[in-house]
Amino acid sequence: MESSILESIGVEIIGVMSPVSICMFLVVLLVYALSPANPFSTPSSPPIRTAANLVYLENPSDSTAQKLEGALLNALVFVVIIAVVTFVLVALYYFKFTNFLKNYTRFSAFFVLATMGGSIFLSIIQHFSIPVDAITCFLLLFNFTVVGVLSVFSGGIPIILRQFYMVSLGIIVAAWFTKLPEWTTWIVLVALAVYDLVAVLAPGGPLKLLVELASSRDEELPALVYEARPVAPPQNGGSHRTNMGLLAAGFSQPGSVEMQSVSGNSGWRNDVDGSRDTLGNDEGGSSRDGREEISPLVSNARQRRSSSSDSPEYSAVNVSTPNRVGHFGDRDSQIEETSPLVEAVHAGNQREQAAMEDDDADDNLGLNRGIRLGLGDFIFYSVLVGRAAMYDLMTVYACYLAIVSGLGCTLILLSVCRRALPALPISIALGVMFYFLTRLLMEPFVVGISTNLLMF
Amino acid sequence: MTVVAGIGYVLIALGPSLSLFVSVISKKPFLILTVLSSTLLWLISLIVMSGLWRAFLPLSSSSWWPYSLLIITSVGFQEGLRLFFWRIYRKLEDILDAFADRMSKPRLFLTDKMQIALAGGLGHGVAHAVFFCLSLLTPAFGPATFYIERCSKMPFFLVSALIALSFVTIHTFSMVIAFNGYSEGNKVDQVFVPVVHLVAGLVTLVNFAHEGCLVGIPLLYLMALLILLHCGKMAWRRLTENRGRLESSQ
Repeated sequence: MESSILESIGVEIIGVMSPVSICMFLVVLLVYALSPANPFSTPSSPPIRTAANLVYLENPSDSTAQKLEGALLNALVFVVIIAVVTFVLVALYYFKFTNFLKNYTRFSAFFVLATMGGSIFLSIIQHFSIPVDAITCFLLLFNFTVVGVLSVFSGGIPIILRQFYMVSLGIIVAAWFTKLPEWTTWIVLVALAVYDLVAVLAPGGPLKLLVELASSRDEELPALVYEARPVAPPQNGGSHRTNMGLLAAGFSQPGSVEMQSVSGNSGWRNDVDGSRDTLGNDEGGSSRDGREEISPLVSNARQRRSSSSDSPEYSAVNVSTPNRVGHFGDRDSQIEETSPLVEAVHAGNQREQAAMEDDDADDNLGLNRGIRLGLGDFIFYSVLVGRAAMYDLMTVYACYLAIVSGLGCTLILLSVCRRALPALPISIALGVMFYFLTRLLMEPFVVGISTNLLMF
Repeated sequence: MTVVAGIGYVLIALGPSLSLFVSVISKKPFLILTVLSSTLLWLISLIVMSGLWRAFLPLSSSSWWPYSLLIITSVGFQEGLRLFFWRIYRKLEDILDAFADRMSKPRLFLTDKMQIALAGGLGHGVAHAVFFCLSLLTPAFGPATFYIERCSKMPFFLVSALIALSFVTIHTFSMVIAFNGYSEGNKVDQVFVPVVHLVAGLVTLVNFAHEGCLVGIPLLYLMALLILLHCGKMAWRRLTENRGRLESSQ
């Protein structure tokens, strides 16, 4: 039985959604595990001061107006800092300080994994009273960090490891952000969503500039981005090609769900930056091809070759394949009338052509780099869910669903627009809306019903 | 130990759906998306209902008739939603078929359609279990348990997990029956599903009586069993018919 179409639709969407889900899930677990005896900010210790609450430190006793005003100021300062730093990074990239950016990002990754990750590990060890001595712990942490830094920025490392470290970076930073006070968190999230919208879509927005710059230089986006590529090269190009038409998917143009800057602790920044120079040397020989195929120049050449129209690559291939098959069919029927011998020859010929066709499909695959999602999106989705986890499981689930559906909407838009899109606005808007709806409307309803053992 | 108990309650409520998810759904990305979207739809319906009823809450827990009104309106709304879901699914099916033609792949098989219906139902069921049972389970992981007066034989968490399991089953398979009924134009199935849903909802009213849960839960499982049997019979009939048609066409 031929494989049904269901198996091939939406592979890319799931490829992006599953790491996001994993990241959110782990952040929620972390928040749950550590919140009863929160070792970072026990009630006695002063609340931490980060770039996100430089101006105002929330106090439970403050009035609502005070909290709102302070949170707004915090968010404003935070967004301004992020915008300034992003502009600086774009300027650095513009003047081709690529190596500096690369090393700076390495340093940030090291810093995040070692210090922030380290303190989270320490608190986990304390909380669960895991018997580990200091030297072992240090060695483990050091190894974890070094492998992380290597995997994020150099080739020759399995993509799965890279993805793992991307997700863990997201988890670590998000776990720190959940320690912001409540009002500030919500306002900062909304402000960031708006900023993301402006920075990616408005003319002159820093992230838009960055994307355009990177694509005009035929370079990879210099940023920490999660790349949802298949871990193993798919066996048949055919099924992979299928994914692209329907339900969002690969693109030959530099399209990515846009990344978002991230600010770390106390003014120190681990913004998306640096250069992502690896594009999977992990798939052995084929990866070479993959890398070559990526430059738009090559893609243009092929486009001209395969079809004269300027339609996107995938449709060009789709159109050309059935034609060729039809052609085979014709020739087949002609040759059958002649002699079996010729037919054998033709079969060889056909195989050759089929191989060529496969080649085409492979090329197409190389172009289809998969969807890329900025690390910042991971972080702020998780921050939202982590903040929801401090209230109730119900809000967590509602926020998760809202964020994932927002992400799905963004991906579908992506397949329509075929350009870099901000991933935060739709998801954050839906997430915040569902959080408050759930908290204000649904919770009393559901609790009231189900404590009476009524369900429907 | 308490963590173990909490996990046990979760698995009672969601274990069967989890295995269904792993064995059938998770292999096909499209079905995962269906589950997610139907869960979202159910969540939205719940929010709308709670928005409508918010003004009247909290209901006094002594009289049962406002609750019956609540259940009837909610079930009615959700059945309307099922029709809406069916409309969307019909459009989707056309799109998928057209897409399959374009990719020169086979159109949706009967099993594919049933799986989509199953995924939609699973989404509804999982959403139900999560919001009505799982969200209240957080204290179960703590160092105590909780009994309510009306059902003093079992911990509250166990009762709600059991009820949630029966509703997950009802939701999951009634979607398959309903979709099949709509596509065949079978009036009996179209009526059967809302009726069973409504009856199951009303059966939970038995829990208002003292120790009523000892009667209510078996009744609920009877409904779940009814749905399961009906769904199994229908799926068997469709599949054998389909196979017969395939063989005769060859």
